[in-house]
Amino acid sequence: MEITLREDANVTTLSLKGRLDLATGSALKEQIIQLFEKEKTAIHLNLGEVEFINSSGLGSLVSIMKEIRLRKGRLTLSNLASYVQEIFEITQLSHIFEIFATEEEAINSYQAVTAG
Amino acid sequence: MSNVIDRIGQLLAQLQSPDFYEREEAVKELGTYSEDEAVAGLVLALEDFDLGIRELAADRLGQMKGEIVSQLLIRFLSHGDIGTRNLAAEILVRIGRPAVPPLIEAIDNDDHDVRKFVVDVLGLIKDDAAVEPLCGRLFDENPNVVCSAAEALGEIGSSKVITALVAAYDRTEDVRLQAVEALGKIGDPSALDTLFGYLKSDDPLILYAVIEAIGSIGLKDSVSSLRKYLYHKDPTIAEAALTAIINISIKHGGKIDCDLPLDRFTGFLFGGIKNRDKNITEFTLNRLTHWYGQGIVKSLLDVLDFVDEDTLKRVSEILGEAGPSAAELILEKLAGASSGTKLVLLDIIKQFIDDDIAQKLEAFADDPDPEVRQKVAYTLGMAGYAGAVATLKKLAVDEVGHVRAAAFGALGWLCSEEEADFLFMGLQDKYPDVREAAMGALVIVSGPKVVAKFTADLYHQQVERQRLAVTALGLIGETEVVDPLIKAINHPEASVRKSAINALARIGEVINVQPLTLALNDENSGVRKAAISALIAIRGEQAVAEIRFLLDDEDVWVRYHTISSIGALGLEKFSDYLMPYLEDEQDILKIAATKALAQMGCRRALPELKKLRREKNKDIVEAVEIAVSNLERGRR
Repeated sequence: MEITLREDANVTTLSLKGRLDLATGSALKEQIIQLFEKEKTAIHLNLGEVEFINSSGLGSLVSIMKEIRLRKGRLTLSNLASYVQEIFEITQLSHIFEIFATEEEAINSYQAVTAG
Repeated sequence: MSNVIDRIGQLLAQLQSPDFYEREEAVKELGTYSEDEAVAGLVLALEDFDLGIRELAADRLGQMKGEIVSQLLIRFLSHGDIGTRNLAAEILVRIGRPAVPPLIEAIDNDDHDVRKFVVDVLGLIKDDAAVEPLCGRLFDENPNVVCSAAEALGEIGSSKVITALVAAYDRTEDVRLQAVEALGKIGDPSALDTLFGYLKSDDPLILYAVIEAIGSIGLKDSVSSLRKYLYHKDPTIAEAALTAIINISIKHGGKIDCDLPLDRFTGFLFGGIKNRDKNITEFTLNRLTHWYGQGIVKSLLDVLDFVDEDTLKRVSEILGEAGPSAAELILEKLAGASSGTKLVLLDIIKQFIDDDIAQKLEAFADDPDPEVRQKVAYTLGMAGYAGAVATLKKLAVDEVGHVRAAAFGALGWLCSEEEADFLFMGLQDKYPDVREAAMGALVIVSGPKVVAKFTADLYHQQVERQRLAVTALGLIGETEVVDPLIKAINHPEASVRKSAINALARIGEVINVQPLTLALNDENSGVRKAAISALIAIRGEQAVAEIRFLLDDEDVWVRYHTISSIGALGLEKFSDYLMPYLEDEQDILKIAATKALAQMGCRRALPELKKLRREKNKDIVEAVEIAVSNLERGRR
């Protein structure tokens, strides 16, 4: 899986491409822990090019979410393919993740919170 | 003409009838004539003993809008009955501008009550033509007329009258309040210096009105003059000063940058929010971003039951940002709140819940409202608080289905495979959404035990359990599920075979494709189509040799799917397989082949495609036009 990182003023965006499974989920988690070390806890994941996600991949996302919550940070997701969206609905993960249709909407939500 | 007059005469006589309906008919018909006699009749009906007739006559007169009508109505302003006087005034206001000239003529009437009515009506009509005559009434011998004139001038809002109002203020004590209010309503900054002078007044009513007027004029520079009144001994005056500053601030987009002793006004500000005062709400909530404290949190919680949806959203955001420091008070409020407020509070808690808060929240798992119990389940799950597993297990056997579904979802987020046996019990639930929630939870916690149980479930005696098992294995998507799914390709149930193949296609880690190849001969067309997609997904162009024979399948939709799947590879080398379908007897296959050849970039097909432009079926022609256009432009 390829991970592209972009840092804006309010949020760090990671765009994921490929398969999100045990190996890539762990790599993603490690990368996010490195961000925590830089005190970056506002994180957005663009899943637009995630073509496959399995239970380990979901587990990684849940684990990342818990870590971010412990640090009083914020995690958002966007651009879920219909198949990924369906998995989030079935597992009800859509209730705990903040999911946006587009990356732009997600990033704007950070600006809105900061401005408020 | 004489017929009309005769008819009006009959209607006027009918107005004297003891029968309500006859009089009502007469009024209605009189309202259709513009003759003076008809107007006079309607005016007479204003004195009818029945309120319904009087109001009907008033309504018809209001629609006539003539000077004659107005003149006749003005006579009623001195009527002995107050109800009739008010009705006449009301119709005059409704007539509006055409009533102004006769009203101005009547403004010098000997009767001061009539003069007052005339002045009031002119103020409500708000026509500039009345300004001068009204200024004259500022010096009327009757103080009531003077006060009404000042009010009327304020309503009209013309800057031309400022001098006259100031003169009236200086001359007549009785008119001071109305004059100041009028200056505020006019809103002209040239009145400010005078108003600042009036701030010296000893009369608290005048002082209140002056502060309010300065706020209405809304000049930013006025804030410094108002600020000292925030400390006034009379709280009403202090609140008026704050309201004036708030109004000025709102007028300038909240850009008033000065320290305000807002903690003195907590009750007033939150009272304003409760009363849905837009300006106070806007101002207070904006200031709250840097104005926290337990008192404020408590006040915010107190307004939750009173505010509109937008304000509720903003208050929730602010409380969410206040974070765990607000938790104690929120939990306290939660205990006695209505169900609606509880849901709002749980949404707030969700934003910052930690183990400690989650532990306290468990008490609300017994709430009588199932919606609250459902939200408690989600919130506990979100917290990731492992200690909540017992509570969630209790909610997973709740009497209400959607509470059970939420509890299973939450258990999936926070428990481990050790709870798999309990989660599997959810697959037996009578409601499908609960069964699906339990399956979803098992997907998240999955490990060898879960995979083994779902593998066994593939051959469960209930077809529903087989369906859930194959879906779950597909969603789990780990290497361990590939073998069970491959075996399921030979499952007796077609829907299971199809789901297994679809799942394998997604997982893509299939080394031995022979079972998939065999599935191309499945008796069920849906399974055959799934096998085509799976082989293409796993083997790419190598799959074409295996699936090609299905171009001649007995089922037209399998043939369609084969054409589309080969086309989606976008490789022109397979175009020969598809060209014959441009002449197929089935229109749907012509369309599929047209689209597929365009995807392959097969320009060689252009002559055949262009022939299809003559087809009667417009769907074919439409597909052909797009294909030809794309091929000619070199687009796929």
